[in-house]
Amino acid sequence: MQREATHAVAPAVPVPAAKLGMWWFLASEIVTFGGIIVAYLVFRLAHPQWLEEAAHLSVPIATFNTLVLLTSSLTMVLAFAAVDRGDERRVATWLALTVALGLVFVLVKAYEWRHEIAAGRVPGESGFWGFYYGMTGLHALHVLGGVVVNACLLIAALRRRLEPIAHRVEMAGLYWHFVDIVWIFLFPLLYLSTH
Amino acid sequence: MEAHAHPNYVAIWVWLLILALFSVMITAVPMPHPLMVTVVFVVAAVKAILVALYYMHLRFEQLLIYSLALAPLICLAVLLLVLLPDIVYHP
Amino acid sequence: MSETSGPQAAHAVHPAPQGFVRRYLFSTDHKVIAKQYLAIALFWAVVGGLSAFLIRWQLAWPGEPVIGSGLLPEAFWDGDSWLAQSLQYGSIPAEFYNKLFTMHGTIMVFFVAMPLLLGALGNFLIPLMVGARDMAFPRLNMLSVWTLAVASVILLISFFVPGGAAASGWTAYPPLSAVPELSEVNWGQNLWLIAVALEFASFLMGGINFLTTTVNLRAPGLSLFRLPIMVWFQCIAAVLFMLSVGPLIAGAVMLLLDRLAGTSFFIPSGGGEPLLWQHLFWFFGHPEVYVIMIPGMAAALEILPVFSRKPLFGYRLIVYATFAAGFLSFIVWAHHMFQSGMDPRLAMPFSITTILISVPFALMVFAMIATLWGGVIRFPTPMLFALGVLGVFIMGGLSGIFNGSAPADIYIHDTYFVVAHFHYTLFAATFFGGFAAIYYWFPKMFGRMLNDTLGKIHFWWTFIAFNATFLPMHLVGLGGMMRRIANPLNYDFLQPLQPLNVWISISAFVLMLGQLVFVVNFFWSLVAGRRAEANPWQANTLEWSTASPPPHHNFDTIPTVYRGPYEYSPPGVAEDWLPQHRPLVGGPAATA
Repeated sequence: MQREATHAVAPAVPVPAAKLGMWWFLASEIVTFGGIIVAYLVFRLAHPQWLEEAAHLSVPIATFNTLVLLTSSLTMVLAFAAVDRGDERRVATWLALTVALGLVFVLVKAYEWRHEIAAGRVPGESGFWGFYYGMTGLHALHVLGGVVVNACLLIAALRRRLEPIAHRVEMAGLYWHFVDIVWIFLFPLLYLSTH
Repeated sequence: MEAHAHPNYVAIWVWLLILALFSVMITAVPMPHPLMVTVVFVVAAVKAILVALYYMHLRFEQLLIYSLALAPLICLAVLLLVLLPDIVYHP
Repeated sequence: MSETSGPQAAHAVHPAPQGFVRRYLFSTDHKVIAKQYLAIALFWAVVGGLSAFLIRWQLAWPGEPVIGSGLLPEAFWDGDSWLAQSLQYGSIPAEFYNKLFTMHGTIMVFFVAMPLLLGALGNFLIPLMVGARDMAFPRLNMLSVWTLAVASVILLISFFVPGGAAASGWTAYPPLSAVPELSEVNWGQNLWLIAVALEFASFLMGGINFLTTTVNLRAPGLSLFRLPIMVWFQCIAAVLFMLSVGPLIAGAVMLLLDRLAGTSFFIPSGGGEPLLWQHLFWFFGHPEVYVIMIPGMAAALEILPVFSRKPLFGYRLIVYATFAAGFLSFIVWAHHMFQSGMDPRLAMPFSITTILISVPFALMVFAMIATLWGGVIRFPTPMLFALGVLGVFIMGGLSGIFNGSAPADIYIHDTYFVVAHFHYTLFAATFFGGFAAIYYWFPKMFGRMLNDTLGKIHFWWTFIAFNATFLPMHLVGLGGMMRRIANPLNYDFLQPLQPLNVWISISAFVLMLGQLVFVVNFFWSLVAGRRAEANPWQANTLEWSTASPPPHHNFDTIPTVYRGPYEYSPPGVAEDWLPQHRPLVGGPAATA
């Protein structure tokens, strides 16, 4: 860092405040999700028999959901690129797609949960199902939160009020991609590596 | 906005899809379990890094943002290391 | 990037809001928010102190009706009011005693120390010390204090729900905390978990502001190594908190699921692992100790140079040492668990890291002493309390070495030796550091001076009574008295210690009584204290360059900074201080 007296208002390397705040929030989210994932990891290693319980989960459905969420990350980042170009209509289109894909993810997840619960695999069934519902539930709540935020941005974009939301699309995007990354790890942790 | 140009987001998306499908298909190939698990998680890590570097623009960020993203991972690694003997390998 | 997030926007002068609600309740002004944190902390300090009173009463005279309970008629104690249900005809049942020490710890750590040292001090001082008009995210700041208010209300409600407040210790170890049938507390523990999680959320939001304001909103010329130690320490504390609290938030969700959804993450009968909670708790808990302690140390480090009229010794060394301590604090936590049944192979490495972490703190203590060395020392109340931090913290640090080495800890674990140890460290930071800060910055906060004579009485009363309370506690602990027992007389081998317990309790009551001096001083000075000038202590840092109390926008013009914060008695200057913002023409410091 420079040490001489300068006359700029912010003497350090300027980091946009909103971005710094967002990454602070994400860092706290990483340790939170990380905490439960680390706990799951050690339990899974300690209980080889969870393999058979995990085998009940539907890989095709989860794969479909993975593709949905990955695609929603693409639409989100394209919305951000459209903001950069000042293309209001495209911003609205991409945001709408992101919201729709997020909802698809949650609905598929709900279907999956219903299926498991109907088969008697409830949270208290065993340690594995506790972690399954705990982790996917926490993640689904985060997806829902992202859907709500993106929907608010979508409404603003539809009203052609791009200016005040411009950098919020970037921040919402950071959050959305983070939620995507969590799923990227939950997918192999819970569904793959089963045999 | 940042001075850098946007990376090719669609190309990265294609890679992400390929990797996701690859990690699903690899589970069907007969191979030792530890190897399969390793491959699956390496693929997941590559996907996460792709998203973080390009969709979250970490590649173009300053040190401070980088450290905010990395410091939590170091903490988690420490937590994992200490939990291992206690919960997995205890006598 | 849109201009709303740029630093210039935060430097713009906004008119002060009108109307009571916008000015004092839902204010975005960091100075008002700091006072709100202070009010919350002082309120809880009273509740926490009352619970300490009842704890000490029970330990000195187990089963005796609490003093004053006889004044209430027999009919009252026959009734079913909350008080009559909690205390049986004035005496403290063991179940209620469990709630008392649980809530005493929870309140003092989460609802007194953190709001006081981070909430009030951090919020008040960071913008003023870096020369900003407000925090980087003022509305988020408001949200954080109101989240804490909601958490406070929930914690308060938990006392009065059926079954009463949580009774599993402030560490909430499962399975006691996970299975309602074991502690006979149901909603009390659930609300406890929710309140604590909300408190975490509040300080996570607050921390964003600490870091962002310091990174982005510093006045011109204020490079990182010209920042006051207080700003450094608040930011380091915020980062430590943020990095450590996540796993415990996850753990709290899991514990809540265990209680409500029938899972068994922590319940051994269902395949869970209670040790996991202990790891998650202390992975947070140990950094948390430093989150509380270093802002208290920072208050002492700010005050010592001012009243020694000497530069702070080893400024950079202190900053680096604190970084080292922060880093090490993440790899020491299992020293809380030597007796928990964890893998014994972990004991040695964690003993070593624990002893290592005393090095940076010893450096800090040496820096404090070296700052005093050869200075022209004055002894107003803030200086006395700052010296109190130094003295008490040395004691706490020394007993920490015993606790940190596994062979000694196995003997003293869960005894009153540990209780004495953490009161010596956390009381040093929270109360001595907190009082030092309040006496020092009160003029800036409220525009009036606290009475110095009453302050000195308060200090000596507190200092003597504190040591009379907690020094003998080491002996009680070494004598084998366990923590968290409701009646020491139930154990034959503790009978000889009972006179010491009575002494400790009486000293504790004297200590509490002494705080009335502060309460009187605080409220009397608030309305009738001598008006404070802008810089009553002749200090250098930026907060003293503006009026007392500062206007809504803090600085009429943003000051330019020319030097570090601790240039006392500089050569070639007539006065014995040289404020950070004062340009020197032709002097030796002009080029510094």
